[in-house]
Amino acid sequence: MAALTLADVTKVFSDGSDDAVIAVDGVDMEIRDGEFLVLVGPSGCGKSTTLRMIAGLESVTQGEIRLGDRRINDVAPADRNIAMVFQSYALYPHMTVRENMSFGLEESTGMADAEVAATVEESASMMGIEELLDRKPSDLSGGQQQRVALGRAIVRDPEAFLMDEPLSNLDAKLRATMRTELQRIQEELGVTTVYVTHDQTEAMTMGDRIAVLDEGVLQQVGTPLECYHEPANRFVAGFIGEPSMNFFDVERQGTRLVADRFDYPLSEATHAALGDTTELALGIRPEDIELVGEPGDHAFETVVDVVEPMGDANACYLTFDRSGTDPETFVATVGGMQQVEAGQPAVAHLPESAIHLFDRATGEALRNRDLPDDDGVQQAVRSD
Amino acid sequence: MSFPPATEEDRLVGPRVRKVALYIVLSGMVLFYLIPIETGLMTAITSPESYTGQTPFLPPLEPLVPGTGEFSLEAWGGALDGLSGGLVNSLVLVVPATVLSGLLGSMAAYGLTTVDWRGQVGIYVLFIAGIFIPYQAVLVPLTQFWYNVVPLRTAFVPLAELLPLVREYHWKLVALIITHTAYGLPICTLLFRAHYKKLSGEMIEAARLDGASVTTIYRRIILPLSIPMFAVVFIYQFTQIWNDLLFALTIIQFGDASVVTMDLVGIGVSQSGTNFPLRMAAALLAALPTLVVYVLFGDKFAEGVAT
Repeated sequence: MAALTLADVTKVFSDGSDDAVIAVDGVDMEIRDGEFLVLVGPSGCGKSTTLRMIAGLESVTQGEIRLGDRRINDVAPADRNIAMVFQSYALYPHMTVRENMSFGLEESTGMADAEVAATVEESASMMGIEELLDRKPSDLSGGQQQRVALGRAIVRDPEAFLMDEPLSNLDAKLRATMRTELQRIQEELGVTTVYVTHDQTEAMTMGDRIAVLDEGVLQQVGTPLECYHEPANRFVAGFIGEPSMNFFDVERQGTRLVADRFDYPLSEATHAALGDTTELALGIRPEDIELVGEPGDHAFETVVDVVEPMGDANACYLTFDRSGTDPETFVATVGGMQQVEAGQPAVAHLPESAIHLFDRATGEALRNRDLPDDDGVQQAVRSD
Repeated sequence: MSFPPATEEDRLVGPRVRKVALYIVLSGMVLFYLIPIETGLMTAITSPESYTGQTPFLPPLEPLVPGTGEFSLEAWGGALDGLSGGLVNSLVLVVPATVLSGLLGSMAAYGLTTVDWRGQVGIYVLFIAGIFIPYQAVLVPLTQFWYNVVPLRTAFVPLAELLPLVREYHWKLVALIITHTAYGLPICTLLFRAHYKKLSGEMIEAARLDGASVTTIYRRIILPLSIPMFAVVFIYQFTQIWNDLLFALTIIQFGDASVVTMDLVGIGVSQSGTNFPLRMAAALLAALPTLVVYVLFGDKFAEGVAT
């Protein structure tokens, strides 16, 4: 086991001509020994490229990758002692499960045949696939193939696991099961793991920490709750959370925020955090918007445009003006028992303690929501 | 204007008529293709002395049906006698040439497709260009090459003295093996490359991470996954090389090394006339190995064509 360090790692793809593409731009991060780090971002953000550079399948244009104390930039993939799980599972179709799992041990170690067989059996029982050992991949279901792919990585006993969207080909139910199982196995083995996904649910639930990547640039590294409650910038705020955060473009005039349809007075403390930036974006998570009776300083009259009932909650799309054909809406989630119907007027309360304010030009977060000191969230965030 | 609705009968009659027509056409085509072969077979089992050539497609039933000739396997014995040398030479030629062109084609395709290196497209273009070089254009250079440039013949003189079963004239077969391998290589590479392009890139990467070298990946992953394509290539190359006459005439020219297609040209032809039963028996005998190859590799062939 070892820590994995990326120092100013950059990848430029160039096809010989001038139009070079910067896929990964100066990524700095440290994945601690035994940590489960989730690399998340929209498609094309460079997360897979980063993973492939760690695996050695892509060269590193600039910067350094270290596994433990060893610089591995120029080490061949086979000699890095890293195992990878691919999205397509990448099993060898002509080999049985046993042969698939033995292959890596036979090729990369000098293990005796009996020892290989014993190691394979052990890993297979850990994955619960002993009875599949003599079958071929084509005889297995998607979930079973997934297990074999994981087993093939585990059997190598590597210093680090790399996983490239390993659950994206499974159906929703199986994915949820495998999510918890993967965490259990990773905890049991204590192997440093980098997990790439575009699914923010997987990012929130699986990782010790999340690294959010956009256009090749690292946006934030932090615990899931840190990224959720204290996003470093507007991109992270919008990417993490489902339904995603609402944003309003506002302009600060004195101690008030002026939007197209509302005026939002600020407290002294909030005001002080903004410096002299006037072009701002106000962000608030749907679950922080309350539907209350009376309009007030932070409560505005709106109309419900659409309601999406989800059982435990209702997602209400609110708008200030329902007359247009495609009105601009923002989302509020309220309890599933609360009666809300499309077309009814509602007063949306945007509590000042829950708002985030971003610099509209740079996207940087100037003020994040207040976190109550005593409810444990703060501690969870700070303890890291 | 409106049509009366189709009755149950109308709907059944339409497809039935079509089906009958289809089977008539199919039967006609079967007859058309099989009659020459059937005629050849019937001719081949007729005694050459009683063969009249009047009704060659009828079985030889002479005492019973006059004019059809007498049953005899004499022509087959003659064919075997006349072709045995050519059959052996052809086998000595076709097996190594087929295996070599398949194996080298597969390796070339692997190196040009799955392994990444600069300039591989340029090399591949050269391979493809090889497909379009007409046979006729290389006949004279080939003769010059094997007879005047490469001292293969002199190299075989000591070999023939040292080793049993090796004769001096075998140098011509070796020259022909190399020529056919080289000429078959581009099309084999093309076929294998199409197959390898469909293999999962992630699978190859997984093998690299598993510690397999370029040669191990070929031996343990690529080669086992190419078996259906090998069946396609083997059938194709075997038939091509077995049936080839042009290269054989150019390189072997005459003598002990002559292959079956060369022997077939002259068999059963003499100044006193053509011995048709002998010629038919010889033709069928010469075609037999390709049939056997089709039967042996047929199911893998279908798999290879389908993938």
